[in-house]
Amino acid sequence: MASRRSDAADRLAGLGMPSEREEIWRYLDLDFDPAFASAPSAPGDAGAPDSVIDGWEGTVVTIVDGFVTTPGVSTVAEVGEELTMVNDEHLFATAFTAYAPGAALIAGDLLADHVLIDVQVTSSATTFPGVHVDVASGSDATVIVRLRSTTDAPATVVPTITATVGDNARLTLTIIQDWNYQTRSIGRGVVELGRDASLTLSEIGLGAKLGRLHLDVNFLGDGSTAKVYGAYFGEESQTLDYRYFMNHIGMHTRSDMFLKGAVADDALSVFTGMIRIEKSGQKTEAFQTNRNLILSSGASAQSVPNLEILANDVKCGHGSTVGPLDKDQRYYLMSRGLTSERADRLQVRGFFEEVVEQIPDKAIAAWARERINGKYVSAQEEGRV
Amino acid sequence: MSNALEVRDLKASIGDLEILRGLDLTVPFGEVHALMGPNGSGKSTLSHVLMGKTDYTVSGSASIDGVDIMGMTVDERARAGLFETFQYPTNVPGVTLDDLTAEMAASNPSDNGYEERTAAASTRLNMDRFRGRAVNIGLSGGEKKRSEMYLLGVANPKIAILDEIDSGLDIDAVREVADMVESLRSSELGIVVITHYNRILKYMSADRIHVMVGGRIVKSGGAEIAEELEAKGYTEYQVAAVG
Repeated sequence: MASRRSDAADRLAGLGMPSEREEIWRYLDLDFDPAFASAPSAPGDAGAPDSVIDGWEGTVVTIVDGFVTTPGVSTVAEVGEELTMVNDEHLFATAFTAYAPGAALIAGDLLADHVLIDVQVTSSATTFPGVHVDVASGSDATVIVRLRSTTDAPATVVPTITATVGDNARLTLTIIQDWNYQTRSIGRGVVELGRDASLTLSEIGLGAKLGRLHLDVNFLGDGSTAKVYGAYFGEESQTLDYRYFMNHIGMHTRSDMFLKGAVADDALSVFTGMIRIEKSGQKTEAFQTNRNLILSSGASAQSVPNLEILANDVKCGHGSTVGPLDKDQRYYLMSRGLTSERADRLQVRGFFEEVVEQIPDKAIAAWARERINGKYVSAQEEGRV
Repeated sequence: MSNALEVRDLKASIGDLEILRGLDLTVPFGEVHALMGPNGSGKSTLSHVLMGKTDYTVSGSASIDGVDIMGMTVDERARAGLFETFQYPTNVPGVTLDDLTAEMAASNPSDNGYEERTAAASTRLNMDRFRGRAVNIGLSGGEKKRSEMYLLGVANPKIAILDEIDSGLDIDAVREVADMVESLRSSELGIVVITHYNRILKYMSADRIHVMVGGRIVKSGGAEIAEELEAKGYTEYQVAAVG
């Protein structure tokens, strides 16, 4: 383990910033100093306890500046294990291996209750928070990861979230990116599904100057399934980038990706979706849909669905749209007496509702609904859309 | 006393294409009028132009209960008392009928009768099970018309324009729609039923029937006009209009 860490540190010295010419970093502005040397050796002062999500009840685990600060919660390293689920060799993944203080291990009795992991960044230092969720065979787990800044400081964060879901187990995972608008987050997620395992993953993209989430779901076990939802709203000069790979290896597996986003001002959103079905993945059904609303002339959205199918007995589909608010809906709603502002707000709310209503935890869904629609209402009131 | 709707010399065009060519129409409160005409006569354009759709170049006048609506936006016209049921009502994904009626009420704060009318219209049209569903999505043709009639009941307009309210319906549904129209009759509302066929008029009574051809009304009268159209079709009017 120590050698893995020191190997990474050695390799890091020879690695530069990735190039935007590589497909994996396309569309991203990587012209910044990742300042890995600023990684702190101890957590900063934690922010206020998370009371923002009204109505949510469960166990809160806090990670501050990459350090697990909740007593009784171990890191993966402390229990003598090693995480090898992320195999990227680029700068950020290598830096995570070299610098991360240790991923919080969310497993066993801790998962008897719903768990909210409050990942805080308190300063401009570059930090490496990690979370590993281990759902034992036959069990159910609900985990929310909330990524947030407690100050206005510009920071670089490399959050890494991994999960293994055992045979016949179920994981409901929600990831909320709620960074301040100065923070760059190069996020990575890998979920491995056992036989007949299921995953429901919802991501709410709100904050970050640059918010990247590169997610792999590996359908290792036969009969494993995943529903992957996303709702994101970019404004000002935000870049929100999703790179979602569904890797179907087992037979009779199924994935449904459904992401909806809106961009205002000069924001950019990117969805790169991949359904990859290995030769072994016969009888797989896999679908991806990404819909984007462009709310200002300076805003843009890239939507790139991909399929790589090596098996010959599968069902796949993909759909992708990028466009402005629908004029027919506006006219119809106004003909019912709604002002154009109210008509557009209702249309935006309805657009996101198709995703938000899928979030299994109703308190989280209500919170997400209010935050996303709030971003649109503010932009409208300030005349930005 | 002013009329529910008064239209004078209404003209509308898209580019060089003149669609309405000087249309006059008066609908008093308490009356139901039928506006009939062949395809392309401008019936749907008339409803869009009255609603304020911005695709057209328009001249002439239109007023509701004596209030000129020509300078108004779409939503102002709706709040002034105009309600149109759409031939193909728009799907609004993720928005329920309850969301929509709540926004209708919020857009018109001087009218505090929405809650009561929503409950009454819901009971009258048996809409309870639809109110939590997305607007118009997955509804049959008949259910869409009923949903539009429900919103009409919630809005409480002064003039209702029912565009092709009988199109695409089987005979039982046509009868049902005709009954709904009859039940709307009130001394505070004028109704215009726009239709291509006279079959709906067999199940409801129209106080006056107007024949529209070539962008204007070429004949107005009583029930005898519908019978005449059934026997002879629109041909003689079309010839006269061209001539």
